[in-house]
Amino acid sequence: MAESEKTERKNRKVLRREFLAGGALTAGALACTSVTAAAALASPQQQTSLEPSKGYLVYDSRLCLGCQSCMFACSMTHEGEANPSLSRIQIIRDAPSFTKYPYDIVMSVCRQCVSPLCVQNCPTGACHVDAANGNVRRIDQSKCIGCQRCIESCPQRPHRTIWNHLTGKSTKCDLCVDAPYWSQKGGPSGKQACVETCTAKALKLVAEAPSQQDIDGYDINLAPARRPMPKMAPKPAATGG
Amino acid sequence: MAYGYAGKILLVDLTAKTTSTIDTAKYAEFGGGVGIGAAIFWDLAVAPGDWDLQDAFDPRNVISLMSGPLAATGVPGGGRTSVCAIAPETFPTPLFHRTSFGGRFATMLKLAGWDGVVVRGKADRPVWINIIDDKVVIEDAKALWGMNTYETQGQISTMVAGRTRFGDEWHQAGDAYTTARPQIVCIGPVGESATRVAALIHGSGVSARTGGFGGVFGSKNLKAISVLGTGSIKVADPKAIVDTRIWHAQNFSRGAAPGTAACMPCVNNDRRRDSFHGGESMCADEYWFMGERMKGAEVAMKWGICTWATKFGGAMEVNMPNAAAPFKGKVPMEPGMGWYIKYLYELGVLGPGKKIDSHPLPMDQWDKLVFREVFCDAIARRIGIGADLAEGILEAAKKWGRLEEDLNSGALRLPAYGASWHHSLPGVDWAYGYIFMSGDPMWHGFFSLSGGGGFGGPATYTAEELVEMMAAKVVPFNGDPLMFSNCWKGEEARKTGVYSEHKAKMVAWARHYAGFYNESMSICEMMLPSFIGRSADGIAGPSPDLEYRYYRAVMGDKKTFADTMETGRKIWNMERAIRVMAGRHRDHEQFAPFMYMPGATFAMGGSKPVYQDGKWSFENQNDLYLDREGVEAFKTHFYKLEGWDPATGWPTRKTLEGLGMKKIADVMASKGKLGS
Repeated sequence: MAESEKTERKNRKVLRREFLAGGALTAGALACTSVTAAAALASPQQQTSLEPSKGYLVYDSRLCLGCQSCMFACSMTHEGEANPSLSRIQIIRDAPSFTKYPYDIVMSVCRQCVSPLCVQNCPTGACHVDAANGNVRRIDQSKCIGCQRCIESCPQRPHRTIWNHLTGKSTKCDLCVDAPYWSQKGGPSGKQACVETCTAKALKLVAEAPSQQDIDGYDINLAPARRPMPKMAPKPAATGG
Repeated sequence: MAYGYAGKILLVDLTAKTTSTIDTAKYAEFGGGVGIGAAIFWDLAVAPGDWDLQDAFDPRNVISLMSGPLAATGVPGGGRTSVCAIAPETFPTPLFHRTSFGGRFATMLKLAGWDGVVVRGKADRPVWINIIDDKVVIEDAKALWGMNTYETQGQISTMVAGRTRFGDEWHQAGDAYTTARPQIVCIGPVGESATRVAALIHGSGVSARTGGFGGVFGSKNLKAISVLGTGSIKVADPKAIVDTRIWHAQNFSRGAAPGTAACMPCVNNDRRRDSFHGGESMCADEYWFMGERMKGAEVAMKWGICTWATKFGGAMEVNMPNAAAPFKGKVPMEPGMGWYIKYLYELGVLGPGKKIDSHPLPMDQWDKLVFREVFCDAIARRIGIGADLAEGILEAAKKWGRLEEDLNSGALRLPAYGASWHHSLPGVDWAYGYIFMSGDPMWHGFFSLSGGGGFGGPATYTAEELVEMMAAKVVPFNGDPLMFSNCWKGEEARKTGVYSEHKAKMVAWARHYAGFYNESMSICEMMLPSFIGRSADGIAGPSPDLEYRYYRAVMGDKKTFADTMETGRKIWNMERAIRVMAGRHRDHEQFAPFMYMPGATFAMGGSKPVYQDGKWSFENQNDLYLDREGVEAFKTHFYKLEGWDPATGWPTRKTLEGLGMKKIADVMASKGKLGS
């Protein structure tokens, strides 16, 4: 483990009981609680100068097929079983209310924020910057106490940190740094299961941080030669129309 | 429970308003999907012996919606839902039939902890079934009855998952959190009135069309089944699944090419509902409903009508010299009900005040969207001509006294009287599927067995190279290239061609393969099998190695590929046993008269491998039509190969017992239905 990470973890370590006494929210409150980024920033644990990640997942929500292959690959490589609800990337389709293309899909991808509120507000140091692996923002499962502060802090909707109800802990995208069922090397210098299994090539790993100000900064055009819309209308039958 | 399965199947009795659980392990010998659905149908509907299996709308009909073990594992195209029951659409009597639909229903069902849903009985009022993980509630559907399928799904989605704006937030489902919305399969007004042309609709453009199972839902007062799941499916080798996906994509990928059905996770779909490409938003098939581009398809989906049975025609036409005069020697490749009523209108026998009164259809606006709306409404409410059409195109023609004439001319272009269909000749193997009641066999995997593809184009290989490559793949019938000869003329056709015992092997192999991999493992058949090369290594495509690799990665058992094919044969015999008990006999397995006449083949270009005079060649077969005696000879070969009595087409005790189906044989023997 890098010296900087050790120091960081030491500085930020608190006991679970001390934190809970401070008023952590319950799991049941998660779904209906709205926590603003400003409120999260008020945490006494915040740090403001963290090394930026050396890798970012960008995507093209127009190109995405909505097949959720990335979600299955994510849960399969990290958890060893197929469970889209545990996937660290969420592709949400609006089938029941029938919104039309291109507004029928939301791609919920962790931004590896330059100023990660999940890291800054974690009371135990579980959510940290992994200096040994390209500064990826990760959650150390052995330190996570399930307080969900990282989830509440995430300024994105839906939040990009994931609640694993089976373990009672949070998880998040680690760019496949720790994916026990992934045959490849992960991390910013390696390969990601979601990117590799995306048939539409709608996901890509980049080294440069996308705009942090623009809400769509990560949703970019990955298909400059997009398929043109077909021009041919159906030819009517011989007898009519 | 073995890898790949959720472990239990939900049984809902709508008469008693009860739910119970079936242990999937009890039926795992039948794989999944239709295999398990058929075996459960046998146990619940056939074995008790108190029902003659003749009325699809009888409360004793048992309809199953089954996933396969590859669903919810990330295997591409593995998320189809198989549906089977006695089908109202088949003609002249309802028969056991299977169909399937793509989308996300099967995947969500597995994640909720269920391998399938089986429904029996009839509710005394409209209901819908609400499944959230292990919790199952039979809900009142009074407020939903009469709604179209889009409204129905929207209402249920809100009831189940709240009003959270889509994509905004996670929501709680049981003990877990998810971003997912419930996946719903439902019927529209056309299904509610128990017509024979109703589909099951899922999402905005996915439907289970053939068979008319929407009418079975309607007859049971069942409006919808909704499922939301947050669980996991365990697989034998997670690494192998992801690795195989990448290997598949890198070596044989069809990429994001549009044009196929959507099976989650579908790697071929297209989100643009009005693009004419297939996809999860609107299957390509729907465009046959026509009417102002894809808007016609949307009408069909909302009303819940079977677009395949009610097709308004298509862009493609076939030369048919004996076609009726109004069509100048041409008829569409696959005309359905919509086209047929226009045909009769042009003949002058159908129209306002005519012998066949067209009220309330505005025949002068046949090509307009408003016609599609009135058409669906008339059928749903059985108004005027809609009452006849609600019974299906062949029943309507029979009532109008036109059945024989129009089957002879090909105006009623249904090759084997059964449920609605898609394509046949010059794919003789494809056509045979219809007479054996394999529904629409969807033989697309073999469709490519032609010189340069079914739609023409230059071949990059010789006929001999093609058949030898294929002959090596078709275990356990491997080593017989003559299986793939499409010779249809003269003595050679009987000796080595389309009427030979070699062709019987091809038809049997395709059925056993599809029974296992497409209908029970529920892999989208538009994706697999894929025989023709997309590999840099040669003309050989990835099948059947690829699907077997996926199977092994998920299941982890020790079955060989030949073993899986044997399970496919067992499933086929299970289906056959049910059909025989419902009255199926060799004598019923006949083509419609036009199949024996010039013009039977849809002229689509391309060519087929033919073996004649000791040589292989590609031959254009746009003039192909069948010979009655030849077909009868083929049937005998096929029955013998399957271990069925050639005189009746019924399975023998030896065949069934050899497949571990002694109990089935005993029941059939008790009813005098066992082959000798």
